[in-house]
Parts: sequence; C-alpha cells; structure tokens
Amino acid sequence: MPGSATRNARRTERYLDGLVAADERRAAEIPVDTDMDPAIRVAARQLRAGLVRVHPSFRFEEALAARLAAAADRMKAGLPAELPPAAVAGGTLAAFRGTGAAADLGVVGAAAGESAATPSIGLSHSAATVVRGLTDVAARPRRPLIVGGVGVASAAISLGAVYVAWRHSHPTSGRMSRAVRAAHGRASHSGRRGSGVINEILGVVS
Amino acid sequence: MSRPVLATSEEGARPARLDRDRGLVEAARRDPSSFDALYRKYLAQVYSYSYYELRDHHAAEDATERVFMQALAGLPRFEERVDAFIASRPVTAASGSASDMADISTFRVWLFRIARNVVANERRTDRRRPVSPLEDAIGLHAPDDVAETVAAREAGSAAWQAVARLPEDRRRAVILRFVDEMSTAEIASILGRSEGAVRVLLHRALRSVAEDLRRQLS
Repeated sequence: MPGSATRNARRTERYLDGLVAADERRAAEIPVDTDMDPAIRVAARQLRAGLVRVHPSFRFEEALAARLAAAADRMKAGLPAELPPAAVAGGTLAAFRGTGAAADLGVVGAAAGESAATPSIGLSHSAATVVRGLTDVAARPRRPLIVGGVGVASAAISLGAVYVAWRHSHPTSGRMSRAVRAAHGRASHSGRRGSGVINEILGVVS
Repeated sequence: MSRPVLATSEEGARPARLDRDRGLVEAARRDPSSFDALYRKYLAQVYSYSYYELRDHHAAEDATERVFMQALAGLPRFEERVDAFIASRPVTAASGSASDMADISTFRVWLFRIARNVVANERRTDRRRPVSPLEDAIGLHAPDDVAETVAAREAGSAAWQAVARLPEDRRRAVILRFVDEMSTAEIASILGRSEGAVRVLLHRALRSVAEDLRRQLS
C-alpha cells in the first residue's frame, strides 16, 4: 500500500500528463482529481504557461549545422570529429627532420598516422602537411619552425611585397594606363620642362 | 512512428515500442552527414534546457554546441541500451499513466545525459559569470496583443523566479518536465533516479512553487 506522499506524487503526475494531453488536443477542460491540492494545480498551470521552449537564433543554428557537417566529413575521412586544439589555436612549434632533432626538442609524439620522420610538438594536421611538403629540410641546420601566428603573418606580408614588385614590372595595357605611362615618361625625361609638358598634355598653349 | 513489438516479461508477452529515433540514429551511424536530422529535431530542446539552466544565451549556445559535437563524435559508440524500466513500458494505459504510452527515444535520453554533464561542467567552471533573469526568454514568443504580452511576461517571470529558487535536482526535473515535455521515465533515466523518486521530486517542486507564488501574491 503506497504512502500518502507516493499517492500525492502519482496524482500530480496524472494531472501533469492531463495538462500536456489537453494542450495537444486544444481542450480547455482537464480531468481533475478532487483530492489534489488546488494550489499545486495552479502552480502547474502557471509553470506550463510560463516555462516556454526557447529556440536559438537562425544564424547560430545554421553555423552549428555547418560545423557539424564539417565534423561529419572528418569522421567519414577517418579523422576525429573535433579538430585538435592546436589546429585552431595560435602558432605551434615543429621540428625539422634531422639527426637527433626530436630528442633535442623533447618530442611528445606525432599526430596520428604521421611518420617518425616529421616529429612535431603539438602539431596540427594542417601544419604537419606543410612540414611534410618540404623536401630539402634534411640538409638544413636543426632549427625549430614557427608555424602559424607571427610566421603566417610574416609570410603574407612577404607575398604582398612580391606581388607589388611584380605588378610594377608588368604594367597593364589599358588605354588609361598607357596615357599615364606616357605622361609619366615625358615628365621624367624632360624634368626641366615639367610645367611645359603638363601644359602640353592639358592642351594649353603657352 | 514506432512499431509495437512483443516483449517478454514475467507477466508473459506484451507489446512494447521500438525506439522512435532508431531509423535516424542508424542512418547517422552509417553516414555521419545524416546526423543533421537528429540535430534539427533536438536543437530547440537541448538549447532550451541549457538556457534555463545557465540563464545566458552565449553560455547556452556554447553548451549546445558541445552537446551536439560530443553526440556526433560518440555516435559510433552509442548503443541502443534501453533501460529495463523503459523497455518494459506497456503500450496500453491499463497500469500506467499517459506518459507510459509516450514513445521512448533512447537517443533523446542519451543526448540529455550528455547535456546534463555539459551544463553541470559549465555551471561549475563558470560561476563567476553574472546570470540574467530569464524574462527575455519569455518575450521571445510574446504575442502581438500588449495586454496578453504583459500577462505572459508576468506569469513567466513569476514562474521562473519560483523555479530558480528550487534546489538543483528539483529545478532540473521541472525544466525537463515542463520545457522539454519529458515523461517521468525519461527524466528518471536522465537524472539516474527511479521513477518514483522523480514523481516525488516533481510533486515537492510544485508544492514549493505553489508556496512561492502564494507568497508573491500576498
């Protein structure tokens, strides 16, 4: 024979089930056990009305869906679902292949499937690929390489400088560019007649 | 829709239900890209649970992301282990309440076990963050009618204040019951308690809320 606490708890449960079922079929009336405390009924109704389900923003939903899809792709490729922390953090320290480099740097272990020829310290998969792509590393002196962080920024600046230099040596062939080059060339060849050239270009008769 | 099957027990053969998410779970285990269907189905529930527990949108988003990432990563190891008391749920309401008839999702129980752990960790490690009242959540679904909006806000605010003052286990049971509309069996499985204990937990929680609301009115 259940005690009064158990009986009351069962009554409450039946009432809560009735509350949910009534909402589902949009019924106004709910079967009520007359022995049930009316205050609990009021509290249950108030919680039912007040505690609503909250949906996250559409932007968050889609962003997380994309991250899950990427994780699913990684799983299909046999990689862990979540990226290792080193792949999303700043720069990591990797050692070039060389005699005793790993021992000197206290290598803690390469990434899964990585050969012992490319030891790394907390090396991410992408960084490991970069290091693995270098062919002449064995001939170089043993030095640690900073991959990511400042190293990446420095490489980007260098690439930018190379691009500007290349553009300077390979002028475009547009009409406007030709006109500008012509004006610039005349001005530089006859610097003494600077104002005259400008007047000539502008069609001003002196 | 789940299919009733015969399950044997001490009382003989009786119908039980297969897991309602079995198809989706099996598809996701074969092809992880199919996990998207489970994600869309349970996103709002997991997010709501996290939000009511953490009372902060950003923290709830972080927790939700962790829950689904862990679920996706753990899916190959997920076994449809239906606890004895869930597996033996009868289809007929002869001996049980309406919640007994509800379809059981082992996946949902498993997902919310992950959510419970993630949220508990978040609460432990991030106690310094100030928590906001949950009133802005009430406003998200507010209807156009101003009077109705105000009434809904007041009801929601009073209800939440009462729930927020509950002890942790009672509050958690109330959120799972009212926000996520879970059955007693599911809550018991998530919280690792017996169904009887959860019934008593909910009954006492409602009594506390009733007293709190009475005090607020007076």
